[in-house]
Amino acid sequence: MKTTIKKIMKSSNYFILGFFLILMISSCKKDTVQEENDEEIITTLSLKFTPVGGGAAVTYSYDDADGPGGNAPVKQTISLAANKQYQVELSLLNKTTNPVTDITTEILAEADAHRFYFAPSASANISVGNLNNDGNGVPLGTTGTLSTTTAANGKLLVTLRHYPGNPPNKAVSDPVNSSKSGTDIEVEFDTVVL
Amino acid sequence: MWSNNIQAQNCTFSLSGHVVDADVKEQLSNASVTLKEINTTILTDAKGDFIFQGLCAGSYTILVQHLNCKDYTESIDLKKSIHLDINLPHAVNTLGEAVVVAQKEKQSTGFKKEISGAELMSKNGSSLAQALGNINGVTLLQTGSNVAKPVVHGLSGSRLLIINNGVRLEGQQWGNEHAPEVDPFIADKLEVIKGVDELKYGSDAIGGVILIEPKALGSTPGKSLQFNTGYFSNNKQYYFSGILEQQLKKIPSFTYRAQATYKRGANSTTPNYRLNNTGNEELNFSLALGIRKTKWNSELFYSFFSTKLGIFTGSHIGNLTDLYNAIAAKQPDSGFIGQNTYSIGRPRQEVKHQTIKSKTVFTIGKQKFSALVSGQFNLRKEFDIVRTASNVKPQIMLNINTLAEDLQWEHPKTKNLKGTIGLSAVQQQNTYSGRYFIPNYISYTTGIYAIEKWTKHFWELQTGFRMDVKKINTSRLRINNNFSAYTFNFNTYAASFNAIYKPTGFYKTNFNIALSTRAPYVNELLSDGIHHGTATYEKGNIYLKPEKSVYLSWNHEVRTTNDRLRFSLLLYHNPIQNFIYQVPKPESPVLTIAGAFPQIQYTQTNATLSGTDLAAEYKLSNAFDYKVKLALLYGRNTSAKDWLILMPANRLEQELLFKLPDGKKTKETGLSFKWTQVARQNRVPSANNIKQDYKNAPAGYALFQVGMNSTLQFLNLPVTVFFGVENIANTVYRDYLNAFRYFSDETGRNFTLRIHLPINF
Repeated sequence: MKTTIKKIMKSSNYFILGFFLILMISSCKKDTVQEENDEEIITTLSLKFTPVGGGAAVTYSYDDADGPGGNAPVKQTISLAANKQYQVELSLLNKTTNPVTDITTEILAEADAHRFYFAPSASANISVGNLNNDGNGVPLGTTGTLSTTTAANGKLLVTLRHYPGNPPNKAVSDPVNSSKSGTDIEVEFDTVVL
Repeated sequence: MWSNNIQAQNCTFSLSGHVVDADVKEQLSNASVTLKEINTTILTDAKGDFIFQGLCAGSYTILVQHLNCKDYTESIDLKKSIHLDINLPHAVNTLGEAVVVAQKEKQSTGFKKEISGAELMSKNGSSLAQALGNINGVTLLQTGSNVAKPVVHGLSGSRLLIINNGVRLEGQQWGNEHAPEVDPFIADKLEVIKGVDELKYGSDAIGGVILIEPKALGSTPGKSLQFNTGYFSNNKQYYFSGILEQQLKKIPSFTYRAQATYKRGANSTTPNYRLNNTGNEELNFSLALGIRKTKWNSELFYSFFSTKLGIFTGSHIGNLTDLYNAIAAKQPDSGFIGQNTYSIGRPRQEVKHQTIKSKTVFTIGKQKFSALVSGQFNLRKEFDIVRTASNVKPQIMLNINTLAEDLQWEHPKTKNLKGTIGLSAVQQQNTYSGRYFIPNYISYTTGIYAIEKWTKHFWELQTGFRMDVKKINTSRLRINNNFSAYTFNFNTYAASFNAIYKPTGFYKTNFNIALSTRAPYVNELLSDGIHHGTATYEKGNIYLKPEKSVYLSWNHEVRTTNDRLRFSLLLYHNPIQNFIYQVPKPESPVLTIAGAFPQIQYTQTNATLSGTDLAAEYKLSNAFDYKVKLALLYGRNTSAKDWLILMPANRLEQELLFKLPDGKKTKETGLSFKWTQVARQNRVPSANNIKQDYKNAPAGYALFQVGMNSTLQFLNLPVTVFFGVENIANTVYRDYLNAFRYFSDETGRNFTLRIHLPINF
């Protein structure tokens, strides 16, 4: 009987040992992971229009300050003067971080894997051209020229395509729905030419 | 003391016995007697006698089987030569000098299906789900060729409990693209059960339990080494696995086992193109220490699992327009195919899972107690496609740590009644960083259960109940960019009744009714975010109630007197109340800068899953064997009077096996030819209701597979070689249960070579 008790004692020691091992391991680990990884969110797309030949620049944006989900995004109507040429400059922000992250610099740094497309609707009386190129001479589209004709209401679809391939294989002839690239941004602005 | 040790080194003991039919008191000839640890089976002679010689001291499990009788199992601590008198079917303890350590009961439950031995070995190097896929009624839910989850009778994920070496796997079952974190090389046997025994593991086993069972520690006397390696041509995958086990000579009660696996595969290929970024790499190891004494035994186990899985580049979808374009394309863009490399880029998953377990079993008188403590540490990193190549961080990181404690008391058999009462507690903590998917949480689960078993003559009745109380405290929950917290309380209960009737050795029937309740998981309650594989915005639902299932299963097993024909039929019906599933909300798309994403939300309905698994084996001659398996399942959404999405299609498998006679240097040589037919899934949700799928179910398909295996004598070592060809015809097909059916074909022809080498010292 005595030996039985002894053996049971021994076995429970073993059991307690195992338990403490677990406690040790679990206490080694940090309680909470506070480090935030880059979520790669784009919240804001702004288009700055500077009239060619002088005049005040205007900026219109699509803004979803809290990222996907949550509050609905705010989209401004692009309002431009008739028969005018504008220098367009595009910028992207991530407002969910503090401080706000400028995504445009990231895009410029990897210009060969990105491409903006500007598609005005037929009735908009708008045309976009003269887009800037990446290092390989393929359009990038962070800057360009926009021309208006007579007064009209229409739409302007801005698309950012991202080439995940390695190498990206971006080519001049790639259409906006190329199967080589995926969509990062697709925003359709309402436009008014006054 | 010393004399004991000297004796222990001698391998000169014998284990002899005499087998009698208890009912007619007749000597039983031709009963098969197996010593599991040395993997040897002999038949009793005309007088019912058998003898094993040259045995080392140690613990053994003896299994006696006879056509007309119940199986009989006994564990024996061999210290000197002994003789056993065995009465079948009523086991009586007349064991002479033998000491009964533990009478390992067979899991008697609603239904039990298993894969072990050579069949399991022929799946070496595959994932857990792929190995389980050999079992009738088990299918795979896949995300490409790398990520696979087992599906049992239409249910998977958190509805299926995975018990890895006695520890309930607490990994990350948040979605279809999360594979179980288990190295199948740990297992000696994989089992799928549904019935009373599941109550030991939880009240939420709505779909059943998968048991990953290693060989019992200390079951192999002496020292043994096992080495496995193999190569698969399709993705140039190779693997190595080694298991070293030793029972110490000086302390025969002490055993250790060390095990390690490494595997690596390159991009896999479909009949027409190779898929970029579909490689995989896995490194696992485990260590087990065990002490076995007469009155107690104890085990300490540690395992480490780590995997890196590439996700096909062409499946990362930016928005809904992209998804429609990808689905419309006949094959993926040339930028996403053709690379023949082992390197893994983005998108990919990296998962680490560590388990530590301590289990002690002891007896006081005839009462048996066991205490189990375990810890699991799971870290999952997901690397999305990112804009900046310099970004090396994962976009989402989830960390789950789980502690579990189990106490069990087994009372001895009194008046045909035998039972177990248990208490279990689980504490779990989840933290995340990066993209929001689920909140941080801490949960506490406490459960209590009791199981009683009654056996007499041809009957075996078993019943049990269980209750769990679960509390989930969430924090860092993102709502409109603010952080919030929720607390949930769930009480879940389960009960089960099982009856086995076995009037003769040729027929056995089994009826089970099992009630289980599953509390909603945190992802079902509170997930919120874009799912890039399906271009949907997933949303949880805090109003979900626990799912309740009443699972009925009725199994029949028949064999003919000459054992030529074996037949089994399982019928099941599983009505589930408050079945949790995802439903599209077309009226409220989520607007993002990348366009509008359709929203899908977790919601509840009533469902029934009914079906049948049928298997038959017919020995055409001593050399030829024909096997057929059929699995049918009808998954209904009864509230909507519609079919359920993602249910396995009808499946028919036929196999012809040819056994070759043993040669001078070859043994157990066989050839097999397998024909698998999977029908098109026509039972899909109607598009007239809410459209739930982007693409119609793919056409049915048929696959052919050949296999060849033999055990050769090489340098006096028995080398078992498996050679096979999967998808011989290089058939182009897509499977309904593979999420990648939107983007690419299934993998093509695959030549496989597997080598198994056991060395006993």
